[in-house]
Amino acid sequence: MTIVPQSAYSAYSAYSAYSAYSAYSAYSAYSAYGAPGAGENPMLADAFMTTRDGIVGARLDQIGSVRESVANDPRTLKRLSPAVRAAIFQAELAASIDVSIETCDGDVSPVLWHRSAKKGDMRRIKYHELLRMTRPSVERLTRQLDLVSGYAQIRPDRAAEILTQVTAPAPFFSTIGFIDPGRTPHTLEFLSTALSFSAPLIQRIKFALAVKRPIEFSPQIQPMIPTPTHGSLPSGHASEAFLMARLIWRLMLHSNAPQYGDKAYWGEMLMRLAARVAANRVVSGVHFPVDSAAGAVLGCTLAEHVYSQCNGGRWWSSRFDGTHFDPEGDFDWHDIFDVRKDELKKKAESGDGVWMRAKAHAPSKGEPAPVLSWLWEKALEEWQDLGPGDLPVQGE
Amino acid sequence: MFTWQHADDDTLLDHHTDFRLGLSESHFPDDPARIWWSVLIEIADVSIDQFEAALAEFADDLLIPVAYDPDDRREVKELQPVTIFARKPLIEVLNDGRNVFGVVSVHLGAVIPEALLDRFATPPALSPIRVDDNAVVMAVIDDGIAIGHDLFRDGPTESRIEHASIFEAAPHSGSSHASLGRSYSRHEIDALLRRCHHNGFLDEDRFYAETGQADFLAGTASPVSRRVSHGTHVMGLAAGRKAHHADAPRPIICAILPSRVVQDTTGVDLLPLLYLAFVILAKQAGRFRTRTKGPAPVVFNFSYGNTGGPHDGTGVFASLFRHVVGAGSEFAARGQKAWLTLPAGNSNLSQLHASGPGPGKQTNVDLIAQPDDRTPSHMQIWLPVSEEREQPDFARIGITAPGGERKTISTRPGQRASLFNSRGQEVARLAYQYVGGFVQRGRVGLTIGPTAGLDEKAVLAPAGAWQLEIERSAGAPAGDIDLWVRRDETLPGSLPGGRQAYFDAADYVRFDEFGVPLAVDPTGSDCPITRSGTLNGFACGADPVVVAGYSAREAGVAGYSGAGPTSDRGGSPGREGPDLAAKSDESYLMRGVISAGSRSGSWARLSGTSVAAPRVARAAAKGIQGKADTARDWSRMAVGESPFPLNADPRRAGAGGLRVEIRFDDAQK
Repeated sequence: MTIVPQSAYSAYSAYSAYSAYSAYSAYSAYSAYGAPGAGENPMLADAFMTTRDGIVGARLDQIGSVRESVANDPRTLKRLSPAVRAAIFQAELAASIDVSIETCDGDVSPVLWHRSAKKGDMRRIKYHELLRMTRPSVERLTRQLDLVSGYAQIRPDRAAEILTQVTAPAPFFSTIGFIDPGRTPHTLEFLSTALSFSAPLIQRIKFALAVKRPIEFSPQIQPMIPTPTHGSLPSGHASEAFLMARLIWRLMLHSNAPQYGDKAYWGEMLMRLAARVAANRVVSGVHFPVDSAAGAVLGCTLAEHVYSQCNGGRWWSSRFDGTHFDPEGDFDWHDIFDVRKDELKKKAESGDGVWMRAKAHAPSKGEPAPVLSWLWEKALEEWQDLGPGDLPVQGE
Repeated sequence: MFTWQHADDDTLLDHHTDFRLGLSESHFPDDPARIWWSVLIEIADVSIDQFEAALAEFADDLLIPVAYDPDDRREVKELQPVTIFARKPLIEVLNDGRNVFGVVSVHLGAVIPEALLDRFATPPALSPIRVDDNAVVMAVIDDGIAIGHDLFRDGPTESRIEHASIFEAAPHSGSSHASLGRSYSRHEIDALLRRCHHNGFLDEDRFYAETGQADFLAGTASPVSRRVSHGTHVMGLAAGRKAHHADAPRPIICAILPSRVVQDTTGVDLLPLLYLAFVILAKQAGRFRTRTKGPAPVVFNFSYGNTGGPHDGTGVFASLFRHVVGAGSEFAARGQKAWLTLPAGNSNLSQLHASGPGPGKQTNVDLIAQPDDRTPSHMQIWLPVSEEREQPDFARIGITAPGGERKTISTRPGQRASLFNSRGQEVARLAYQYVGGFVQRGRVGLTIGPTAGLDEKAVLAPAGAWQLEIERSAGAPAGDIDLWVRRDETLPGSLPGGRQAYFDAADYVRFDEFGVPLAVDPTGSDCPITRSGTLNGFACGADPVVVAGYSAREAGVAGYSGAGPTSDRGGSPGREGPDLAAKSDESYLMRGVISAGSRSGSWARLSGTSVAAPRVARAAAKGIQGKADTARDWSRMAVGESPFPLNADPRRAGAGGLRVEIRFDDAQK
């Protein structure tokens, strides 16, 4: 299965944080040969053949013993190419979730389901609601349109951000977390895994909700970038930006590095950045503020899911109800998330009612997926700070 | 097809007001009679209370700001300017010279959304504020001031701003002490800072949404949502500093003008709210008492320019500060020292000034009205000083519209000609009127309607060269005749889409032989368009310190920096030019100076004399506690003590360059 992040305009490679840094090619053994793809360089192949002909000799009578390979063992993941690993991670994560499209109060309501095995038996699945989303009415979106028009006035100020975030907001996060292909290749791989996992879910929800874009409401919006063909709510950029913000903050928190420890300003800053990325999409004229709110709820919820799939522990479900989001309200992420507690708030409400609810759930039975745990641990190692006491002492 | 028609009309107090009100019929989609305007009127020999009582039948069309307290409202003065909010039916009555309400002059300001007005506001309580003996109050009037910026705080949630009036914000629900917009005390700002503070950071998106300064829903401009905002930058230079600064206390009071007014830089539009801002801040300033030395001194900075007005120190703005601070003012009564710094203006190279003919001469100059100009253009011809009962016929003013339609009027009361389109709608007006009060001059105004409009009902004037021919009457008294075009340019993309009209003449030389813009008039030139006399029209009075801009690397006055001299008054010379110059550019290539960006921790670069003036205001805050009696005396001393070497004509740089080093971060030891 090829997983294509939803907001990619051009190509997977242009979008993915991982490949945005050319990490893939840096890894690939084949690229050392200058091969364009999987080693299909005809001249090289010809040379390999003539070389073999020249040196192969007569067949050996006997070859030594070969040990049976270890089966299904995460230790072997490091020997796989990143692309192969990515497929394996997706196979694990994709199996952890399901989607259904239901009806709620007469309107469509996509639901994500948290899949887990009953008593460790993978053939007996149980489902818990992970996320449910309801769209706002067209009348409410029409009122949101005034905000989109108002935001248009700061387009000249935000143009550079908006244009560079069309395909890859990920590099912006490396201005806060020290993320670099040379230093944190597995962190990039982990974030890419989470993004690739989220992309089809975002698209499926968008498709189900089919919320019109601002451009369809008024000829005066005139977005400064092309409007993507998929639905408006939830904002994919908001989903992905909040997903990244949450996972990077988790890595920081678990690193035990004193600078990250209990310093909530790191988490706060990551969320500020995510909110800025989301707001820029409103400024550009391709989203409503309510799309950002829905995207943030989705992104934060999926971040918890990815984290729990890697580490076990509790997981979170949430509901977003666009019919209760203040139609004249802007999105403020503080309404849905508490950085100091490092968790979603229980609910967010407007004068029209509760538009977001979130709930923590007891850990699922069974171990977290070993391959995902391997990825998490590899990424986490990259965040650990080395102090003098961490160095091996001679004689010990 | 356009046609001039002559009309003898001596009843209007202000033709420009009348013309703009006429335009409102076709330029505003709503009922023009329902639109509120800010208006600056002058009333003579009546109190505000009497004025209001006499207008009982217009009660629904009149709102007198609560900034005027009961004492103000009771006071009868020979002449007093008052800012009011009014609707068209009332403004038309007041603009009639035969009115019986004591109104002797009318300046139409800006359209004010009704949602920003509060009829039920009550006057603010003006409780005293105790400050240290070495404290100086910094008073800033500007647009787009990010009041939550860390340079205006003493700690994460401790503001140094004791008062902020925000004119373009929906009034507070409940008890409000502002008739327009809203006001904040320091305690209220601190409470808001606390509410919007999370994990070490101020959520500035939320903070400015709460103050009403960023209101994307209302569709109003939100300058503090941009990376750079004029008022933040200016106030940063005047009074910005990090917490725990070593300098003496600098409490801040500020009034934040609506940016839509700023975008409509016709100058006239600005006056009523500017006046109101001064009234409000003058009262706030009175709250500051030092522990042992009486009222704390105040330094005002107002970094705005205007190219209109008589340029002789008698204009409404020039008299405004004198009215607020001078003899008989609240400041004088309190014994409180107040200085004002103003920019020299940026129109030196903008071709907005021309000199009229001397005795027996004639001047020909074109006024270029640009295409796609969505706001009216306004040009003024100021005649020599004369008494109202005399008003000699100084000149004949001929005008030829771009289509060749020609008309001439004389400079006598009642002279007026209007250009009508084929549907009988007025598209331009040339009219004489006498400006009394302190000014005592005749003025011919040419108002040209917009040359473009998106509304199909818009009444449009032709773009192109409007040829002016000014023929001095034989035997008319001596004295200068000067022409100025009002600024009405707006930045691309901003409302309301004004493009600047300018003078043109065949013999105007813009560049030297190397292609560099000429910053001074060529020697021996007879061209009527001059760089001299381009000093900011607000800055021609006797009291303020007027600041030119210099470029530090080249040690030269910035090309745009406005030049004197101001117009003479019947033989008594006015200002020679600015008082001094301060840095407005690092170099010709690296324009501007660094100060606060809109968001905490950010820095931005802005250029212009707007950023030179607050630099001097910052230095003046130290000077005001010294020996100098007046701001201008101090400015000369300051240049002597801390000079920046400039080789410049006094008409462009006054006493010379002043070096002001700004340390935003100078923690107390």
